[in-house]
Amino acid sequence: MARMKFLCDAERCIECNGCVTACKQEHEVPWGVNRRRVVTINDGVIGAEKSISVACMHCSDAPCMAVCPVDCFYRTDDGVVLHDKDLCIGCGYCFYACPFGAPQFPQAGAFGLRGKMDKCTFCAGGPEADKSEAEFKKYGRNRLAEGKLPACAEMCSTKALLGGDGDVIADIYRERVTRRGKGSEVWGWGTAYGQGKGGSAPAPAGAKS
Amino acid sequence: MMNLRSGLLGLAISACAALLPAAAFAQATAQPPAQPAADDTQAKRQAVQPGNNAPVWREVRSGDANYTSIKGPETGVLIQPQAKFFGQDTMTTAGEAWRKYRNGPVTFYGGLLVVLAAAAIGAFYLWKGPIKLHQPPSGRLVLRFTALERWAHWSMAISFCVLGISGLVMLFGKHVLLPVIGYTLFAWLTMLMKNLHNFIGPLFLVSIVLFALIYVRYNFPSAGDLRWLLSLGGMGSDHQVPSGRFNAGEKGWFWLSVVVLGTVMSVTGLIMLFPNFEQVRATMQQANIVHGIGGVLFIAMSFAHIYMGTIGTEGAYQGMRTGYVDEEWAKEHHELWYNDVKSGKAAGGNAGGEAKPAPAAQPQH
Repeated sequence: MARMKFLCDAERCIECNGCVTACKQEHEVPWGVNRRRVVTINDGVIGAEKSISVACMHCSDAPCMAVCPVDCFYRTDDGVVLHDKDLCIGCGYCFYACPFGAPQFPQAGAFGLRGKMDKCTFCAGGPEADKSEAEFKKYGRNRLAEGKLPACAEMCSTKALLGGDGDVIADIYRERVTRRGKGSEVWGWGTAYGQGKGGSAPAPAGAKS
Repeated sequence: MMNLRSGLLGLAISACAALLPAAAFAQATAQPPAQPAADDTQAKRQAVQPGNNAPVWREVRSGDANYTSIKGPETGVLIQPQAKFFGQDTMTTAGEAWRKYRNGPVTFYGGLLVVLAAAAIGAFYLWKGPIKLHQPPSGRLVLRFTALERWAHWSMAISFCVLGISGLVMLFGKHVLLPVIGYTLFAWLTMLMKNLHNFIGPLFLVSIVLFALIYVRYNFPSAGDLRWLLSLGGMGSDHQVPSGRFNAGEKGWFWLSVVVLGTVMSVTGLIMLFPNFEQVRATMQQANIVHGIGGVLFIAMSFAHIYMGTIGTEGAYQGMRTGYVDEEWAKEHHELWYNDVKSGKAAGGNAGGEAKPAPAAQPQH
């Protein structure tokens, strides 16, 4: 069984925000909620500007899952971290715990009262029946069930954002690193997937530059 | 304005940490392991080693905000800054440090404390039993609490119980209730508990302020308090050391719980309840830890007070329920106050003495 992962190649990302838009469009994400965002480091500095697209990394040892007071998270066979909005109480603990700031809360009332948490599903929907109306309304489209990969990565114009079987995308990235000779660091890989223990693939090989 | 706000929040949270000695934790600020030289920027690195992005990756790990077109608090932060809570050995991502602290010591030792406190009270009851009056009740009643004082007490007490129970469900329910009642019912219950917690919380804050204002003048230390404490509240002997309107134990409970813990819980609670004041995750993580530790301490201590005020002391509950206590009760438990009432020095007096029926004739609640 494939272990689904995201990987963003900072050498390729051009900060077009196409992934952000693709995600919002595909899942009809409510106003004020962004499941994905692009962050630019050294913005405007020639030769030093790098952009990274970030959303839920579907961690191997997911902190959100560990702190949820109602245990509403679950992991699919593909290693995708999903949650059940029927159980979610909107406490915000997953948002405290997540290193990447992935969990989003639509405001459900005055004074910042939180609604049900919303986050990237790796285009894998939720606990409802695959491709059902209820699933789409709560979690967005279930592209994995349709045999497709996440919309953000599919839409990426420079193929900076890769999403799919960790072994496959690691091979693609490894080849890029070999050709470039530099830059084996992968955004969030170590934090989200650990250091190669517990069955998760290690960061793509290559000496640290 | 925003800087002022976050400054005030920071001040409030440090005040809280200082107020709660058991939670005297420190969440160290971001400190990447290897500090690069100040001029080691990506632009310079690029010139000498093209393709080496080490300065950029350091920036990613630093937890500093960078540019993003998605507006919102901390959206420019890629990975939370590093932090560690009091007692933790290593720096980790702040969220991870918080997770380990909350799921670790707060849940484990907090749960242990609540269970042990309840067990200790139960054991004490079995060992000593309730404190009964030594003489039969006189049948004459003395006004001990006015209607306002009782209202202040009960609005605080009832909201405390709601907050305590809902808090326990949110911290321990996953381990205790969830395996028994299942996901659907437990999530429904916890949702209810969260909403009760959020809406009763501010009510508790108001009631605590009211209560403190009304009761503070009776709770300053006075002569005899030390002797009362040294005699352990008369536990060892038949006769209590005479005390005023409130004995040293009650005064301690007032200052420690109502004033100190009440303030700590209110401030940390408000920080988490209103996430729309630009406070960052680190602030809310710290608030959550202090709130959790303060909460279990509060609950554990409340067991003693609830016990003493109900089944632990004959006649005490009736005093707060109806406002009147028997003269014999007043003489035995608060002799100095009783003398003051008799001589007309203290308010209240035995106004109800003749007008009220004897306690035996009153319906028991």
